[in-house]
Amino acid sequence: MLLEVRDLRVEFRTRDGVAKAVNGVDYGVDAGETLAVLGESGSGKSVTAQAVMGILDIPPGRITGGEILFRGQDLLTLKEEERRRIRGAEMAMIFQDALSSLNPVLSVGDQLGEMFVVHRGMSRKDARAKAVELMDRVRIPAAAERVRQYPHQFSGGMRQRIMIAMALALEPALIIADEPTTALDVTVQAQVMELLAELQREYRMGLVLITHDLGVVADVADRIVVMYAGRIVESAPVHDIYKAPAHPYTRGLLDSVPRLDQKGQELYAIKGLPPNLMNIPSGCPFHPRCPMAQDVCRTDVPPLYEVTHAGESDGGRGSACHFWRECLHGLDR
Amino acid sequence: MPEPIPQEPHTAGGGRTPEDGAIAATGMGGAMDLATSEGETLEGPPAAGPGPSATPRSLWSDAWHDLRRNPVFIISGLVIVFLVVISVWPSLIASGNPLACDLAKAQEGSQPGHPFGFDGQGCDVYTRTVHGARTSVTVGVCATLGVSVLGSVLGGLAGFFGGTPDSFLSRITDIFFAIPVVLGGLVLLSVVTSNTVWPVIGFMVLLGWPQISRIARGSVITAKQNDYVQAARALGASHSRILLRHITPNAVAPVIVVATIALGTYIALEATLSYLGVGLRPPTVSWGIDISAASAYIRNAPHMLLWPAGALALTVLAFIMLGDAVRDALDPKLR
Amino acid sequence: MASTAEPILEVNGLVKHYPLTRGVLSKKQIGAVKAVDGVDFTLDRGETLGIVGESGCGKSTVAKLLVNLEKPTAGEIRYKGEDIGKLSGRALKAVRRNIQMVFQDPYTSLNPRMTVGDIIAEPYDIHPEVAPKGDRRRRVRELLDVVGLNPEYINRYPHQFSGGQRQRIGIARGLALRPEIIVADEPVSALDVSVQAQVINLMAGLQDEFDLSYIFIAHDLSIVRHISDRVGVMYLGRIVEIGRDAEIYDHPTHPYTQALLSAVPVPDPTAREHRERIILVGDVPSPTNIPSGCRFRTRCWKARERCALEVPALAVPAEFRFLAGPESHDSACHFAEEKQVVPEALE
Repeated sequence: MLLEVRDLRVEFRTRDGVAKAVNGVDYGVDAGETLAVLGESGSGKSVTAQAVMGILDIPPGRITGGEILFRGQDLLTLKEEERRRIRGAEMAMIFQDALSSLNPVLSVGDQLGEMFVVHRGMSRKDARAKAVELMDRVRIPAAAERVRQYPHQFSGGMRQRIMIAMALALEPALIIADEPTTALDVTVQAQVMELLAELQREYRMGLVLITHDLGVVADVADRIVVMYAGRIVESAPVHDIYKAPAHPYTRGLLDSVPRLDQKGQELYAIKGLPPNLMNIPSGCPFHPRCPMAQDVCRTDVPPLYEVTHAGESDGGRGSACHFWRECLHGLDR
Repeated sequence: MPEPIPQEPHTAGGGRTPEDGAIAATGMGGAMDLATSEGETLEGPPAAGPGPSATPRSLWSDAWHDLRRNPVFIISGLVIVFLVVISVWPSLIASGNPLACDLAKAQEGSQPGHPFGFDGQGCDVYTRTVHGARTSVTVGVCATLGVSVLGSVLGGLAGFFGGTPDSFLSRITDIFFAIPVVLGGLVLLSVVTSNTVWPVIGFMVLLGWPQISRIARGSVITAKQNDYVQAARALGASHSRILLRHITPNAVAPVIVVATIALGTYIALEATLSYLGVGLRPPTVSWGIDISAASAYIRNAPHMLLWPAGALALTVLAFIMLGDAVRDALDPKLR
Repeated sequence: MASTAEPILEVNGLVKHYPLTRGVLSKKQIGAVKAVDGVDFTLDRGETLGIVGESGCGKSTVAKLLVNLEKPTAGEIRYKGEDIGKLSGRALKAVRRNIQMVFQDPYTSLNPRMTVGDIIAEPYDIHPEVAPKGDRRRRVRELLDVVGLNPEYINRYPHQFSGGQRQRIGIARGLALRPEIIVADEPVSALDVSVQAQVINLMAGLQDEFDLSYIFIAHDLSIVRHISDRVGVMYLGRIVEIGRDAEIYDHPTHPYTQALLSAVPVPDPTAREHRERIILVGDVPSPTNIPSGCRFRTRCWKARERCALEVPALAVPAEFRFLAGPESHDSACHFAEEKQVVPEALE
């Protein structure tokens, strides 16, 4: 495993109390694999990624438990300086908002080149040449001229390409992309996603794609983990989850999305609201919104059960639902 | 290269919870959805949930809640209350007449009944310091009121309506900002012969309003761009309704903060002008006049300078601290 | 639902240009942002017209023009045959009452200093003839109930609600005057997926209950299809294709619509392999400098010389004119041809 997160727990201390943002998350990514982390706001998907990258705001954040293994080494035990060396060179992150992630007073060439100056000790001139090469790689037209331009002179899609170029600069083994296309228009989103997927194949990188968009996930992911209230509620290969979700939350999400190819009747809507992280419901955190909830759901926290088919293990599927069998086979309907 | 993590843009209620910052940046996915304190469902009846925001809260009540727990606010508030009380009823703590002086006692130090000693004219420093508070508070409060009313009305209207009047007003404020305050005071006030505080206050209002006007204009423009103003406009609301009900309550906080801090500086300015001989003149009792008179004797009788100067410093500090505390309390980002 | 009756809303040649000026006091015009550049459509009673397009296509400006937040540079908006651009005073107010708006951002569209009760009652303060003073409180409670919120929340402030609940408050405000038309500008795009469905269902339910006509503006094509009877696709200030939902989604004839539809990610991993994606080149041109002829030609794979010379009209293309099929609908392309880009539903 390239990256393995084990039982990670993160809290935030605020004036109103302690918010439990991540409550025991396990996931792993291999080289060349795309793992999609799916969840709504407050599910803890971005906080987990920030903890992996080591860019969590501490305080108010606090990692209260767990391990983050990168090539077998626990990042949480490293000194800040050692982590900084890994960041950028070994793992990189792409953010949603490219405009605010780029420095407005430096040309994009300077910002791209800086990676090489800092990490590789290159001269300014060589770094500039590298920057042009990278911009070519992410298919920015007329890279040699545009390398001198400033971020505001690029369109949203082009800026996101620059962010991707920056992440790729040192050919990291792992890329974490946090909602990389959410701020973009659909036609541009398609361009950027395709580019990202292609580069990932080319470099055989591990990609952690954080998103709330079920469509984007279906297009590019190999595996999916679905997060809710700081926990993983379902984990499965991409085809299985869309065919037959094994957790009622996943099923609810899939049913609540309108489809492009058919005009539906009334949409299925998950009732209620996502939980307050200061006061996560007892037992299964999804039980107040769950159509299948029984008494046991209010009292017992479900572990991530292994989902099996007729006694056979099903390609490493897991579901944190006491009634995953019923959900998987639609027996409750 | 750690980029800044997009921060939660909506801060209110329980919304201070850290959440998936990236989503918040475009508002995709209401950040608040995780933070409603009521554990209610939309369809069902509300579950009983005495969360932290079970009672109605507004920015103002939140601010008050913060202020009451802020020692800076409590201390500065107590000092200011005390100052206001003695400027209204100085005889509460100083029964003497500040103008009843006995030259024979000039420059004498502390003695029973006269804890601060006597000044160069033989007047009781304690009585004069207490009575001087009235002038300072009057100048500070009146100048601040005048500046705030004039500045926020002009700035607010300019910001709201925009266009040519706005450009015109902005150029005028630029001109006023170019006038050095003390020099302007020396020139303008030297031609005034009145012996009251009003010319000084008038001068401060004249030079002070552009500062408030700028703040008011800026915060009105910010408030104006909110969708709720558009919503009111789409309903057909009148200009006055939009201004009074939607913009003013949301734009007034920065003006209050700046005005509170400015109040302290006006008191100091009055003392400065009086010290320079163009502000108030005897027989008006003022800290500035006393400081000016005492400065000649600073080596022989430093107590004459110490008490009025100390009172002035304390007052200015109290108002600036109050302004600071109010600013912090009204800034939801700091919560 | 199409009827021969007079449409409730008719938009003809709507144009909104924002002048670009230079200079501080002597404002010299150096150009214009052509946000809306000739838009026509009609809306029937009880119908939902979806307007889709990417950012900067002018769809939000259309919304503002419809509710009179902006004055059109040219063109007319006819409400029941009456041009609202020519109205003023009392008559304008009466029309405004009947066309209400729901805003995108539930965080900034509610005044944080007002209680929910005051926010929803504000329409009554502005249009006092609609409800007598003594009756307003009751009506507000009723509205809260209608949008699925507890009427007891009347004294709370907006920040005590979640995004989805705030959007319900915004909808309640829009309903207060019992309008006939609601213009909704991206009403669910700021909400979480699971909450989006709640709000869409609510809006669909209210449409039947109150006999509303919707103009539903969004960038999300799936949501627009779900709620709309007819759909208009906008590009750079113009509608390039308009028709019934099945005509647009299943039988698109304009290349931009085809590209847009093919780019939408479908939540179905099996569609990955056999799905054809049209990836457009380049970015949307600036609305200050719109290409000559067909405005889409700079990104169109079919563009020929004619496209740079002639502006294509929004009409049924000649080759489909005598067909009765779903491909026969308005499409502003010289070389329109049908192309199925949305995979058939696998059920």
